Amino acid sequence: MNHTTPSANPIDRLLDSLCLTPAGLLSLVALAVLPLVPPFNHEYLIRWLISAAFIASLSIAFDFTAGLINIVNFGYCAIMGVGGYTSAILAERIGLTPWIGMLAGGLVAALLGLIIGMITLRLRGIFAACLAWFFGLAAMGLATKMVWLTRGPLGMRVNRLFDTASNVPYYYLLLGMMVVTYVICKWVTRTRMGVAFKAIGQNMEAARTSGINPVFYRVSNFVLSCALAGWLGGFYAHYYGILTPDIMLTSKTVEVLAVAYIGGRGSLWGGAAVAFPFIFAMELVRSSLSNLPGLNLLLYGLLLILVMIYYPGGFAAFFDATFRKYKNRVMNYFFNGAYESPR
Amino acid sequence: MAEQVGNRGWERVFKWCRSLAGVTVIATVLIALLATADRGGYILVNTIVTGGMTALVAMGLALTLGVLNIPMFAHGEYFMIGSLVAYYVFTPISSFLNTHPDSALALWGPLITVLAAMIVGALAGVVSEVFVFRQLRKRSRENWVMNSFLLTVGLSVVMINAHQLFFGADFKGITHYWSGPPINLMDVFISRDRAYAFILSVVVVGVFWFFMTYTRTGRAIRAVAQDETGALMVGIGLNGILMLTMSLSCVLAAIAGAGLLFMYPSYPSMGLEPLYMAWFVVILAGLGNVLGAVMGAFMVALLKVLTVEYIGSGWDFVVPSALIIVILIFKPSGIFGSEVRGVLDK
Repeated sequence: MNHTTPSANPIDRLLDSLCLTPAGLLSLVALAVLPLVPPFNHEYLIRWLISAAFIASLSIAFDFTAGLINIVNFGYCAIMGVGGYTSAILAERIGLTPWIGMLAGGLVAALLGLIIGMITLRLRGIFAACLAWFFGLAAMGLATKMVWLTRGPLGMRVNRLFDTASNVPYYYLLLGMMVVTYVICKWVTRTRMGVAFKAIGQNMEAARTSGINPVFYRVSNFVLSCALAGWLGGFYAHYYGILTPDIMLTSKTVEVLAVAYIGGRGSLWGGAAVAFPFIFAMELVRSSLSNLPGLNLLLYGLLLILVMIYYPGGFAAFFDATFRKYKNRVMNYFFNGAYESPR
Repeated sequence: MAEQVGNRGWERVFKWCRSLAGVTVIATVLIALLATADRGGYILVNTIVTGGMTALVAMGLALTLGVLNIPMFAHGEYFMIGSLVAYYVFTPISSFLNTHPDSALALWGPLITVLAAMIVGALAGVVSEVFVFRQLRKRSRENWVMNSFLLTVGLSVVMINAHQLFFGADFKGITHYWSGPPINLMDVFISRDRAYAFILSVVVVGVFWFFMTYTRTGRAIRAVAQDETGALMVGIGLNGILMLTMSLSCVLAAIAGAGLLFMYPSYPSMGLEPLYMAWFVVILAGLGNVLGAVMGAFMVALLKVLTVEYIGSGWDFVVPSALIIVILIFKPSGIFGSEVRGVLDK
């Protein structure tokens, strides 16, 4: 974030305002080309890509709370589900177009985020995580029991976004949403607000002493992260076409949490970078060793434990320590961009 | 003189009654009696049986919180291990009993089952302490509560899926431990299993209380809970105590799992429900308050039974969750308070 001499190159300036490095841009381009390349242009592989991109986007928004202000929002997928249900119900009852419905889902989720942020204000660390967890449990219980509205565990039919059977347009849409999520989160961390978030996450007393109002910053962090979750939940509803309370389960949150932490807390992009190879490996294990159910999730949990014990910084710390240290000018530019000096 | 002491005793009782803890306990008892008068004795019986077993799980959770400062998310999985072991031990016993109904195993079989669950539960606790938590403790104590919480999340995923991988995802249950007609008490028929499950939990809570209060090791555990550095200074072996505490709390969960096998068959994700309940209890009673957890367990059990009775089944997640949210907002240290709050603030 050290903005040194302003570069005259307009491409550099554009990249910087999108918070991307040349390496990041290259991987995004690779992701965009992927569904056209032979092994990946099968419909079921594109479906894997979509679920990877979905987990990736969620983990970016999740890391915005967990990595920066150091509070694990344990009811995250419940909030995502509330966004999805809002969009689905609006589309079903008043025929609202899904495009606006998704934003409405984000709005309702933001409202929930506001409530959670307000009531966790007096709590710290694990208490706040528990409260968000119980909030999510209550939301899931409501979604299961309010059968007249959500059709409960039977599942709610939702009209899909596009009229095609192909998954490719969904993939590009989701990729776009992922980039938007990343850019919004990264922009916020570049402003004064981001510094305040980090200060609160590291030591709340010290932050308060230096004149940071934790009320405002914590609540706004929750609101933004939950709003993004609700928006993505709207996509989920209109992509799968069926919505059950199962998407609000705690185990879904655990999935996002594992990806975000293996990717590297506080980096935002780490989870997204890890999600693609990771989800692919999991799906491969699941589909090729289908006589061993549960093996993929077992590896998932083991990896989370190993990373938490032996390499708490996750993939992002590994990347920073190996690739971002190049003295070579070209490589340095490639991995760090024109503005960010090596850490 | 004796009168004076008696007076002072009464004053203390009155003072306790006017404190938050006293008010809640009295209100709980009153509500339980009113509901019993309204709907019949089975409410009281259900509350007591569920509460007894919830107390075991919640006590273990409170212990890990208070002594090791680990907010355990995998505690339900030790419950699952207990029920799994009980299933595999008791199934051969019960098929043996079918052919030899008069053997001594009819009496001792269930106890052997619970004992086996205890041993395996203790081993599981030792393994997770040595291979997971000690490794993290050796490396970094910074931000310990949050990091260990994430570790337990991973542990829970591993154990649930190991169960699915090695034992399959089907329901593994038994019909009963003790055969025989149900016991008739206050016009309520209580199955023998439920009655014995309650007796088991009372005995375990009693033994545990005695252990924590009167033995040297129990005192050492409490010393570590109060002040780790101080405990080290007076010559308490920290690693041993931490390992012992971990395995103790896992044993408690495993006993509950084995004792309730006739009600809840064993399957991979069965641990989630006792985990929610235990967390409700622990937050209600105050984090790390082990004896408060026993009282809190009965309150949560009553709340759950009443919700099912008056609002309908399925709402028993919503109503307790809402109540816990209210408690967390207005009294984060819990009804009975706790001494370990300072540690958990981090």
